Amino acid sequence: MTTRPRGTALRLHRELKRIWSPDPRFRGWLTTNNNNDVGRLFLAVATLFFLIGGVLAMLIRAQLATPGSAFMGPEAYNQVFTMHGTVMMFLFAIPFFEALAVLLLPGMLGTRDLAFPRLGAFGLWVYIFGGSAVIVAMLMGLSPDGGWFMYPPLSSAAFSPGIGADVWLLGITSIEVSAIATAVEIVVTVLRYRAAGMSLSRMPIFAWYILVVAVMILTAFPPMILGSLLLETERAFGLPFFQVENGGDPLLWQHLFWLFGHPEVYIIFLPAAGMIATILPVMARTTLLGYGWVVASAVSLGVLSFGLWVHHMFTTGIPHLGLAFFSAASTLVAVPTSVMIFSWIGTLWKGRVRMELPMLWLLGFFATFVIGGLTGVMIAVVPFNWQVHDTHFVVAHLHYVLIGGYVFPMIAAIYYFQPLITGRFRFFRLGGIAFWLVVPAFHVTFLAVHLAGLLGQRRRIWTYDEGQGWELLNFIASVASFVMAIGFALVVLDIAINTLAGLRGRRNPWQATTLEWAAPIPSPTYGFASIPIIGSRYPLRDDPKLDLRIARGEGYLADTSRDRRETLIVSTAKGEPLQVAVLPMNSPLPILLALCTSASFLAPLIKAYWLSVVALIGVVILALIWAWTTAPRRTEGLVDAGHGRHLPVAAEGADPPGWWGSLFLLVADGVHFGALLFGYAFLWTVAPNWPPPAYLRPDLLPVALALAGAAALAAGPRLAAWREGHGPLLLSLLGCLALAAAAASIPLARPTPTAHAYDATLWLLAGHVGLHVTLSLIMLTYLGLRRLAGHPLRLGEARTFGLWADYTAGTGLVALAAAWLPGAFA
Amino acid sequence: MNLILRLALPWTVWLIGFSALYGLQGLTCSRHWPAGIEPRAALIGAAALYVLLQGGILWAQAARPAPSPFAQRVATSLSAAALAAALWTSLPVLGLTICD
Repeated sequence: MTTRPRGTALRLHRELKRIWSPDPRFRGWLTTNNNNDVGRLFLAVATLFFLIGGVLAMLIRAQLATPGSAFMGPEAYNQVFTMHGTVMMFLFAIPFFEALAVLLLPGMLGTRDLAFPRLGAFGLWVYIFGGSAVIVAMLMGLSPDGGWFMYPPLSSAAFSPGIGADVWLLGITSIEVSAIATAVEIVVTVLRYRAAGMSLSRMPIFAWYILVVAVMILTAFPPMILGSLLLETERAFGLPFFQVENGGDPLLWQHLFWLFGHPEVYIIFLPAAGMIATILPVMARTTLLGYGWVVASAVSLGVLSFGLWVHHMFTTGIPHLGLAFFSAASTLVAVPTSVMIFSWIGTLWKGRVRMELPMLWLLGFFATFVIGGLTGVMIAVVPFNWQVHDTHFVVAHLHYVLIGGYVFPMIAAIYYFQPLITGRFRFFRLGGIAFWLVVPAFHVTFLAVHLAGLLGQRRRIWTYDEGQGWELLNFIASVASFVMAIGFALVVLDIAINTLAGLRGRRNPWQATTLEWAAPIPSPTYGFASIPIIGSRYPLRDDPKLDLRIARGEGYLADTSRDRRETLIVSTAKGEPLQVAVLPMNSPLPILLALCTSASFLAPLIKAYWLSVVALIGVVILALIWAWTTAPRRTEGLVDAGHGRHLPVAAEGADPPGWWGSLFLLVADGVHFGALLFGYAFLWTVAPNWPPPAYLRPDLLPVALALAGAAALAAGPRLAAWREGHGPLLLSLLGCLALAAAAASIPLARPTPTAHAYDATLWLLAGHVGLHVTLSLIMLTYLGLRRLAGHPLRLGEARTFGLWADYTAGTGLVALAAAWLPGAFA
Repeated sequence: MNLILRLALPWTVWLIGFSALYGLQGLTCSRHWPAGIEPRAALIGAAALYVLLQGGILWAQAARPAPSPFAQRVATSLSAAALAAALWTSLPVLGLTICD
């Protein structure tokens, strides 16, 4: 790093603060897209949902404390346990770690913000609107009541009339959109937005974990979104995907749900594991033992979790061979998990542990999670699984894993990062008392619940009779659960009080070795005054004055004369500086787009389909404005990044951030399409009332249109990359129209999607093509308008559109082939 | 990006192979399965192919240098783990009843 004169740090701080700060008025909260603000809001809202979920848990335990309780009737109880699971899984667990990632990841990586700040803000607001809708519905007594996994036929219109199930399907799906938006942002940030010199082997361990988790979100959520789409279209329009008499199969839902639901458990656990691997070495005053092995274990666990979904379906009559496949895969999970656990124990062994509050919570994690893991191995064994299926044993197991494996480490993380997030240190000491209330009470509660399950108590039953041996166990569990709840309330109170009135202190109070602690406390909106240059995995240990040099502007991009938000893009493997990213300023666009997106999801709840259409038009218009206002107006060429390096602005490169974001969004889209093909194949192979009365026979014209359309759509962007003029865009437009016409031939030939699951599937395949053609047309409109306004088509824009066009052409052909081939060969 | 793909490849292939094996098992029990082909032979053949493919990936990862020793070590250990997992999860095809 180059040396700068004294006084530079303060000047730089003032200038960067002016550039990066949100509007100081109230509207600043609505228009900010800075990761510090978005992360704090995310965290506060997720905590609020945790409290709501906790109150629901107490209602459940109050009801089960005594046999024959009159506290709640079955209708209310069904809503309460469904909402408890839904709130904790979708509104607390996932958003809470996303909040921490949004808040902390840029600091850990040595960058100033996430890759797509507006996308992060959009994700936050969609989550707030969707989550609020679900809670409001609950307060109005309109909650879903079919359990958090909503199995049909119980959740179908015949057995769950009213809008409860629709609230779940539409509200939760909108929140999943938020999660996918955040995941795209995280993946691109970890791969591209890092400190100079931060190669993959020098990345902080949390970045590896959150990278794995973000990819898991992109690949696990789409099957769930598809399942929700199928069930909602069945409930609203009668498309019979899960109705056996019309060619459907309820087991299809279970496959789609658990294709999401099992990885979901690891999506929740792995960020907590990342926090443990971050905090533990600092508490032990050493480095993480077996960094490479832990990385390999995180990757292995992430992928393995996708091969376990059927172990939630062991009692559905699956043949022995299928059971054995998934039993074998389930036992494998213990291997990478054990590697992590032994790495952490070894880290404690080689260090000198200081018993601070975060460490205490980590010890609570060890004591709890290992037990949860062992009961998990028990459940992976098929005969035992059959015995305890749908009993309170499973309830206890999942709480050991989720509270022990997620909540305890996250509390440790909050206490550990509190100085960085709030600028305050613990002064009031309620946290220690809270720990000694929560952890013992947790074990008493769920040990009793384990035993009740082993004695045969079924889950999801609103009451039980005397004389079955469950009374004392349930009473003990309920009393202890209230003690645990008081403990959790004290944790929240302790953090709130210390946030408001704790002590102020110096940076890096824990003597940590990772970059986030090089920032001032609390972390300023711009993160780093200059982008750090690092030479090891532990930059603050190996370069103790690094924080001061960063503050003095001796890294990259310390020049504020361009008066805009800039950060560095590096090469994925080696961390070499490649480009300068220009990040967007504050804007109301994210909240407006989120409002329209949420309205388009939620309007069908009141059958206001017209409002949904209007909201979707709003989404398109706002998205066009968004893209237009973030696109550069002029070509800059190379800009001075400091240290004698001149780098291109990212938007002018061949692979701009939008290209990377599109790539990973299309990964999610591809998984969604794959899940659709899986569902089709599943029904074709397994569903009882197949084959349908008649298959669709393809005509020559639609086939020719599809082939020509796909070819034109794929060729257009390639031509645009090396040839000026309107020709390439017009070729793409013609390709879109031809492909759309080919897809339209399907519903025209089979006008009744309610007749059979096959017809409904054909409509969905055609819908997939129609949706992507529409997206391509919107992009073409944008590019055409840019040309008309005098902006030449950039290479990066052409390549980004090319990704979408190739995907539309490729999956369009596959979808149409899937629709036509059975008829062609019948 | 190539490095990320190298790290992702072994387990992705494991997942695809595992799902394909499960799908094949479903197909052998369905009305679409041709009468002339013995289901167990097909399953064992597919499992052998799957394990061979994972072995090939391990060999290629070990033989081809990565940008750093760290990447080489992680990619090779992931490939070895995925090969072991493929062997372990394929074993049931040797003995268990297929459609009952």
